[in-house]
Amino acid sequence: MGKRKEAKLASNWKQLSASGGIIGLLVLVPLITTRTDVITWFYLTLLYIALSQSWNLIGGYAGQLNLGHAAFFGAGALAARYIWLHFGLPLPVAILGGGLAATIFAMIIGLPAFRLKGIYFVIGTLVLAEILRLVFYTILPEADVMPMKLLGTYSLIPRYYLSLLIAVLTVVIIYWISRSRLGLGLMSIREDEDAAEASGVDTQRYKLLAFTISTFLAGLAGGIYAYYSAAFRAGGLFEPVWTFDAVIIVFVGGVGTIVGPIIGSVFFVLLKQILSLYLPGGIHVAVFGVLFIIVVLFLPGGLIELMTKFRKRTSVGEHLH
Amino acid sequence: MILEVKSLSKAFGGLVAINNLDLGVIEGEIVGLIGPNGSGKTTLFNLIGGVITPDSGEIKFNDREITGFKPHIVCQSGIARTFQLTKPFAQMTALQNVMIGRMYGSEPVRSMRQAEEECEEILEFIGLGGRSLSVAATFGLVDRKRLEIARALATKPKLLLLDETMAGLNPTEMEDALQLVKAIGDSGTTLIVVEHVMKAILDISSRLVVLNYGVKIAEGKPQEVVQDKKVIEAYLGEQ
Repeated sequence: MGKRKEAKLASNWKQLSASGGIIGLLVLVPLITTRTDVITWFYLTLLYIALSQSWNLIGGYAGQLNLGHAAFFGAGALAARYIWLHFGLPLPVAILGGGLAATIFAMIIGLPAFRLKGIYFVIGTLVLAEILRLVFYTILPEADVMPMKLLGTYSLIPRYYLSLLIAVLTVVIIYWISRSRLGLGLMSIREDEDAAEASGVDTQRYKLLAFTISTFLAGLAGGIYAYYSAAFRAGGLFEPVWTFDAVIIVFVGGVGTIVGPIIGSVFFVLLKQILSLYLPGGIHVAVFGVLFIIVVLFLPGGLIELMTKFRKRTSVGEHLH
Repeated sequence: MILEVKSLSKAFGGLVAINNLDLGVIEGEIVGLIGPNGSGKTTLFNLIGGVITPDSGEIKFNDREITGFKPHIVCQSGIARTFQLTKPFAQMTALQNVMIGRMYGSEPVRSMRQAEEECEEILEFIGLGGRSLSVAATFGLVDRKRLEIARALATKPKLLLLDETMAGLNPTEMEDALQLVKAIGDSGTTLIVVEHVMKAILDISSRLVVLNYGVKIAEGKPQEVVQDKKVIEAYLGEQ
């Protein structure tokens, strides 16, 4: 008992110092290199960490396969862009506003959406994002371009730091939830809703709570993009690719784990860059589709599971020698 | 009276599963609930547990009306249940399974550490002490049933509904299970036990209630009830 606690404490310290080290290195990245392609690569990875980790809460921990995540990313991005660029308010206000916009929207649609169960919830959320995509392509058909004044002084570095800040914030929040009473409750809903109810878990309330937090974080991730993108069309923010990139990353990395979406994002962005170098445009999507199927069928625990297996095998090997 | 069921009825389409049922349970009792397949035992558990709502009638727990309450509220007010087909949280550890009950049940603790310590004790009591960090998906039938009871106990119920926890156990395992149920009863928890295994039910029940087609056909001391003509007919058919 005492030994187990000590070991736990030691591994907590190990984790904490490792995470601190990684964050420290990430803070230094723009000081080490000025290559925009490298910084963009880091920026994209962090954006995807934030987006996929936010999906991981509702999809991975609570087990509610929300395929309308793009709707909340888009709502957050659009709101942040308007508050920042068109209403001229400070950036932090805009980013928070984006998160809130996504959450308010989630609360409006959350109540009816969670009356649907299983596959109907999946279809319902997917359709929701599609409706928004079509609506915004129609009512805001023009590209939203940053004014020349801003483009003239555009620098990647503040964009990079914003993505780092939001990614770290997202990971910390999900990590904290995963080790709390709330996290346990969410997992019980994922595993068996009837048994969770019978054990005293207000499943409806906790699903909504997870949805609220998850969409708020997706809205913040949208803010990263709103601040970064020189030009976009509003409908494009609601493209299903924002949902499916996040879903693929979470499953490939390790669904319902903290490290999974992080490893998944690094792997995803790296592979995407490499594939788009050597393959004709758009083919990488097909590759990711196939990869997704392979992982779901043969490696349900994702890359995390693969790494743990490998580590176990090597440590067993060490014992033998 | 800890539980009072009054003129309770529930029909599924044309099938009357529970028909104008009255049932009272006194604190500290172990009530055995028996009856042929389809006689309404599990339906009664589902009605008490809030999984389904009755067409008419009322359910009172500690003199408080709980008819139509949602399952989590029923649990939080002090009634826990197990499922006939076990429903473990498969990808979670045994400890986590039990902690759900401890942290969301009727006297919930908020601190993870306190819940962990108390749940280790519950697992020890139930006979799963060495397996607290194993994932529930790896458990066999016997351990799954134990875990199911441990999770229900962790919610600190005043009344515990056990739905066929002994089905599929071999004689030795059943003996262990019987001792366990007795120990739970001795600790002051009131029990309603649904069981098909006659030896088991006669051994532990202080009172027996027999259902057939949703109607209570007999009630009383176990040894007397099993000799009741109506009960024998319900099980074996008329002569």
